[in-house]
Amino acid sequence: MTTDTHIVWREIFSTGIASVDYEHQELIKQINHVATQMSLPADPEHIIESLGDVFAQVSAHFALEESIMRRMKYEDYHDHKEDHEILLDEIRDIMDAYEAKQYDEDIGKFINMLNNWFLNHFSTKDAKLHGLLDSKDD
Amino acid sequence: MWIEGWIDHIFGQKWNPTYCLGALGYYYFWIVSISGIYVYIFFETGIPDAFMSIEYLTNEQWWLGGIMRSLHRYASDAMVAMMVLHIIREFAFDRYRGGRWFSWFTGVPMLWMVMIAGITGYWLVWDELAQYVAITTTELLDWFPIFGEPIARNFLAPSHLDSRFFTMMIFAHIFVPLFLLFIMWIHLQRVAHSTINPPRGLAIGTFLMLLVLSIIKPATSQSIADLSTIPSPVGIDWFYLWIYPLIDIVGPAWIWIGLLGGTALLLIVPWLPPAKKVPAAVVNLDNCNGCTRCVVDCPFSAITMQKRTDGMAFDQEAIVNPDICVACGICVGACPTASPFRRAGEFIPGIDLPGLSASTLRDKVERAASKLEGRPDRIMVFGCDKALRVDKFRGKGIATVSMPCAGMLPPSFIDFVLSRKLADGVVVTGCRRGECHYRLGQIWLEERLDGVRDPRLRKRVPRERVNRIWASATDGRMFARNMASFQGTLSDLKPIDHKIKKIKDGTEQ
Amino acid sequence: MKKFIQYTAQALVYAGFAWFIGYFSNIPQYTRIPEDLALVKFSFAHGAKPKGECHTLTREELLALAPNMRKPRSCPRERLPVKVELKMDGETLLKETLIPTGLHGDGPSVIYKRLVIQPGEHQFHITLNDTDREEGYDYISQKTLTIAPGQSLAIDFKGSGIEFVYE
Repeated sequence: MTTDTHIVWREIFSTGIASVDYEHQELIKQINHVATQMSLPADPEHIIESLGDVFAQVSAHFALEESIMRRMKYEDYHDHKEDHEILLDEIRDIMDAYEAKQYDEDIGKFINMLNNWFLNHFSTKDAKLHGLLDSKDD
Repeated sequence: MWIEGWIDHIFGQKWNPTYCLGALGYYYFWIVSISGIYVYIFFETGIPDAFMSIEYLTNEQWWLGGIMRSLHRYASDAMVAMMVLHIIREFAFDRYRGGRWFSWFTGVPMLWMVMIAGITGYWLVWDELAQYVAITTTELLDWFPIFGEPIARNFLAPSHLDSRFFTMMIFAHIFVPLFLLFIMWIHLQRVAHSTINPPRGLAIGTFLMLLVLSIIKPATSQSIADLSTIPSPVGIDWFYLWIYPLIDIVGPAWIWIGLLGGTALLLIVPWLPPAKKVPAAVVNLDNCNGCTRCVVDCPFSAITMQKRTDGMAFDQEAIVNPDICVACGICVGACPTASPFRRAGEFIPGIDLPGLSASTLRDKVERAASKLEGRPDRIMVFGCDKALRVDKFRGKGIATVSMPCAGMLPPSFIDFVLSRKLADGVVVTGCRRGECHYRLGQIWLEERLDGVRDPRLRKRVPRERVNRIWASATDGRMFARNMASFQGTLSDLKPIDHKIKKIKDGTEQ
Repeated sequence: MKKFIQYTAQALVYAGFAWFIGYFSNIPQYTRIPEDLALVKFSFAHGAKPKGECHTLTREELLALAPNMRKPRSCPRERLPVKVELKMDGETLLKETLIPTGLHGDGPSVIYKRLVIQPGEHQFHITLNDTDREEGYDYISQKTLTIAPGQSLAIDFKGSGIEFVYE
């Protein structure tokens, strides 16, 4: 869910896995930060750097989620993993598009794209992880 | 190395025996064990029962027992050959120092075990050769004043030898290989993802070789042992009994000095100068979330996971054992935070090499790229210190950067170079498959580029701009040729498109 | 076609390695002692008499010992050396004084000597002393034997006399 250009954390987003939830919250903070920067007349260099942070953070987050899913022998692992790979390609597209100044037409649409990129996966695939800890033994 | 390249042509890289000498040694051990069990079933401990039972196998049951005996002998000879080649290779390629001392050190007792197993095996046949072995071995052991009576007295004359001696011998001949098996297990303790079995084509080929040899030239006994005669001349198995003629030439004292001194020297080889101390990898907890990719990829089991110590919400963190770490950097290549795209803060991945940090690597790449003239076919070469040195290929649109191991390269660096247009093409090079100095760097990088190992090279990176030219130090000409033809293709490729084709909007997949 | 060449080349390599194994597995022979010679192995393990006389302990000496150690007679542990000489056809092949083994010098005296000789008829003359006598010998043995080429004659000392073992 977004208010204006921001994603707001809600309790139903929690997967029950502390590390995953923590990283989700950090990612939301970081993406919101980028969205804010994009709305303001901010230094493009700073935005490029923030996007780089998002990429590194989300790469690490996906790696952690995957290792947890493998350990729990999560049945939808391969599908979820493929989604991660697609998302990483897409965030790279967003980074390159921003650096090529493709946002000139409509920064709002760009910000929307960024938010949707995150939320689509988050509210579908990651939501399914909820209860993973309860249903499997640690 | 050029020998190995030549063998590559004959066997193909996948089946090249020089890349799995240790595995072949282990494989022959299994053949020896299984054929040995069969021979053991028929062996009788006694005089002349020992000799007779083996004669029965070789003659009356030539079609199975005889072949088993021959396999037993020839596979154990082959095992010694593999062991010696393996030692020479690991020494020549400098793969025993620093954290790798453990593999070398645990291999030395295996030399003794294998030799003793072979000697006791020949002893059991109780033919003339066995008699020679028995007398010479006991005389050699008697050089030490540790026995009350010289043990060679057991073989003074026929009346001096008891049948029960063979019970003891067979016990030794089974116990020593069992103990050897235990050391074989220990030998691999710090070798992650070890290759224990040779590739199938090689396994089949080499077994057929032994089988054909066993059929054409069956193993036979020499004439029956007779302690009232001199066992001379004897046909010696030079793989195991090479030391016996030496005893007559230099005398037992020098033999013992040679054996014990040689063993001591072998044991300390990993610590002999020149000592090169490279700082071990270091984990940065601010950037480590315990994803375990470094642990999975480390070829030397130098990284483990432990419970979180900094109070962050993560369960675990990686921890490096500096005594085992060889500073290859493969863990850095595995780390998802080793992404060089510019950040707000410093570029510090979750695990890093103090000797060549990821940040320094990025600086080197950017500096090298800045020297490339404006032309449409610039190449950035990522090489490794242990294979072909890439610095000498600089110039004419070619920039090079070298790492301790090709496996240190995070695939995101390739994405970085191409998308930021630092070069028009990327070449990765390093040790050839099977020769990686750090065992797994080359194959891990291949798998990451092929998209079958994490972290994967992003699909969006145009593969026609990425080339892999694995080259050892003697492959300079091949490398230059491949570089030239790769560079030739670059000007014709369509430029990388930074426009977003389609990003999913709010609709669900 | 390439596969065929590869397999042929592999077969050649295998054949070469197989030849290497087959050859060095037992073909090059080793001759320790030339076949036209013979061998005498002179070896025994024999404890000489103790050095000194046994004596009976006096009452005072017994009382000085712990109750469980009061044996009436006390004998010295150390043994005398064994003196031995082997002559063949009048010529001395070996002459040794063998000190007893063991930390306290109470073990047997041992010898193990290999002597390469010409085959043929020989007279062997052996003398052995295991007491501290000044003159004469405790044991004398003499035997004429015909030794064939390649034969190994063992001479051991057993029980009451020097025993020749020959088959």
